[in-house]
Amino acid sequence: MTVELQIETVKPANTQAFEAAGQGKTLGPFKMQTDKLNAWFGQNHVLKDLSIKFRENQVTAIIGPSGCGKSTLIRCLNRMHELVPGAKTTGNVLLDGVEIYSRRVDAVTVRRRVGMVFQKPNPFPTMSVYDNVAAGLKLNGVRNQEKLDQAVLNSLKRAALWDEVKNDLDKSGVSLSGGQQQRLCIARALAVEPEVILMDEPCSALDPIATAKIEELLTSLKEQYTVVIVTHNMQQAARVADFTAFLYLGQLIEYGETTNLFEKPEQELTERYLTGKFG
Amino acid sequence: MARLMDMGLDRLRSMILDMAGLSNNTVTTAIDAYEQGKDVRTTIFGWSEELRLLQDEVSELAVELIARYQPVASDLRFIKSCMEISYGFSRFGRYAHDIADVLGIFGDLSTCDKSMIHKAGDQAKTMVNLSIKAFTERNVELASKLNEMDDIVDNIYMDFVKKAAHNPGGDLKCTVSATLILRYLERIADHATYVGDSVLYIVSGERTARK
Amino acid sequence: MMPPSSKARRYKDRIAFGLCVVCIAIAVVPLVSILVEVVANGAPALSTEFLTSPPGVIGEAGGGVGNAIQGTLILMGLSSAIGVPVGVLAGIYLAEFGNNKLGHSLRFLNDVLAEFPSIVVGILAYSIIVATTNIGFSIGPLSIRFTTGLGSFSTIAGAIALSIIMLPVVTRTTEESIKLVPATIRDAAAALGIRKWRATVSVVLSTARGGVVTGVLLAVARITGETAPLILTVLGSNLFFTGLTHPVDALPLRIWRLALLPYDYAREQGWGAALVLIIIVLTLNVTVRLVTRGRYSMVRSRI
Repeated sequence: MTVELQIETVKPANTQAFEAAGQGKTLGPFKMQTDKLNAWFGQNHVLKDLSIKFRENQVTAIIGPSGCGKSTLIRCLNRMHELVPGAKTTGNVLLDGVEIYSRRVDAVTVRRRVGMVFQKPNPFPTMSVYDNVAAGLKLNGVRNQEKLDQAVLNSLKRAALWDEVKNDLDKSGVSLSGGQQQRLCIARALAVEPEVILMDEPCSALDPIATAKIEELLTSLKEQYTVVIVTHNMQQAARVADFTAFLYLGQLIEYGETTNLFEKPEQELTERYLTGKFG
Repeated sequence: MARLMDMGLDRLRSMILDMAGLSNNTVTTAIDAYEQGKDVRTTIFGWSEELRLLQDEVSELAVELIARYQPVASDLRFIKSCMEISYGFSRFGRYAHDIADVLGIFGDLSTCDKSMIHKAGDQAKTMVNLSIKAFTERNVELASKLNEMDDIVDNIYMDFVKKAAHNPGGDLKCTVSATLILRYLERIADHATYVGDSVLYIVSGERTARK
Repeated sequence: MMPPSSKARRYKDRIAFGLCVVCIAIAVVPLVSILVEVVANGAPALSTEFLTSPPGVIGEAGGGVGNAIQGTLILMGLSSAIGVPVGVLAGIYLAEFGNNKLGHSLRFLNDVLAEFPSIVVGILAYSIIVATTNIGFSIGPLSIRFTTGLGSFSTIAGAIALSIIMLPVVTRTTEESIKLVPATIRDAAAALGIRKWRATVSVVLSTARGGVVTGVLLAVARITGETAPLILTVLGSNLFFTGLTHPVDALPLRIWRLALLPYDYAREQGWGAALVLIIIVLTLNVTVRLVTRGRYSMVRSRI
């Protein structure tokens, strides 16, 4: 990419940007944060000393060109990165101030508190709609039928899917349309009662109407959860996110309130990316 | 790397430049004609109307670009400012039109003292010129200079009005017509500073408070 | 009027096509002729008596292959009971946890075992389970001695030999089917905080079950027709099943014996037994076809 030749140094964002952004609003604490996070895929150094914070009950979008490390970052937040053979991380990732990579913390517990929705909808193909939503609970030992029923009902309602599937709970999970499948996956993630929801380009495989439904959903989800959404669609970030972080080559370049970042970005690199001059 | 939107932005820019040249001419012609007592109403009316139509076109193009390309950052600021600046240029035309109208209403004003008008008129003409320059060069220093010059025109206007209010007498026709002209010149100066503000917004994203 | 080069190409095309048809015919003719022979010769021998009674006195018509059918079914069931669980678990291990040196070695050994001549497996089973072998060794003052083997041909020996033949097939197809399960399914299960073994059993295996079942059915179909290991392990008998440690009859063995007898009735009964055997194998294969419509067709080609 010729851009790298023209930018002398890529300057990471000022860490005070996190405190500064959102001045004048009542905001909760930082639910999750990373401190000098580094991540490798084998020899490939993907994230470089990345320090970023995510405010509770807000939607934070992560944008950046392909290969900047967005997906790797969120996979580090729920300890999914380590499942890849040859993957390595150093640095700290804190959830409510507690280090999630410490030896005393079970990765499985982290993943129950930090849920994830993937790019391509992936409901379990051999299970019905009901079983899909209940999977996270059933396969973790919950047997009480009433509890399961209640959880399925609530999750499907919170994912704005209940009305469409309430009479078809026994239908196969994969018989739904793409947008419905993605909302099913969201319901499935919500059923385990996470505190943080990570979304890796959740709408990129969906048509505009399905996308709009999910974007509407996000604004209601943030009342209860902290949402981090990776997106390559800047307009989507502008529509749904309260805060936006711009990543480039594994470093945080800029962070701020979405309206400010999109109206007058402070870094030239951000400006060039937003106006489509590269990436 | 040329983007799809660049063509639209270039068209927008050239339309603004057209308006700039036209409004400059309009203002200069109107002021000079007043001082010389010439009747240029038809020409000025024609140009002013052209400016209004151009402003509509700029507005439409700007909205089309926003709808199509969903621009952000400097592109968005530029398009937004173009809408404001085109409005400012159309206002130049409108006030030039009003200035040209005064002679038509009052008839012969060759006996009136036009020194104040001459001063203010020179300032206004320079300011229109400078505002156009600020836009084409994206020059923020010129923008701040415009603020200083605006104060001068404001003072000329205020002084004249206060004097006329406390010392009634003298030729009523001259007083009223001069008040009107100075008022229009003051508004032209104000809009020239607004153009300067828009240029500042394009370059840095800062917004200055309107006085 | 077509240009000459195009005409030449069309000619070549037609000749090539004709050659292909001839080759297919050559390949298909033996299969069809075998089937026709077996059906034509074997059908007259089928009767209730034939299918349910044990062999009669040698030299006299009458009797049947009832005990052979029973023996074949028992052997199929027993060897599946041994081979399927081991094979499926091995397949799961290799697919989910086998990306290391141990996994690679196991996979290699598995592939070697798959190519083993079945008679060698028979000999192995014979020497360990059928024949009594005294094994002893001493380390200093300690000496250990034990005897393996039952001392007689037995059903269990046959079942074990057949399960050894079946094992690599089941392992390989299970591994392949599990690998076919997309990574996103595993990711989804992991992201829900489901433990790996639970995810493997309840989600991954469940998704791959079509392929696993296919592999099992195909393996069973294969061992149904194995004769060599049976010669060395179960020997054959004229009685119905009498016990795990006693010999038992099986269709391939019965066919072999009947074919060697000089009597007409024996020949007829041999064809009948062959027909029954082919019917069993074909039924299994047709079931596989029906199960694999679609996603698991790739698994079928790996046998």
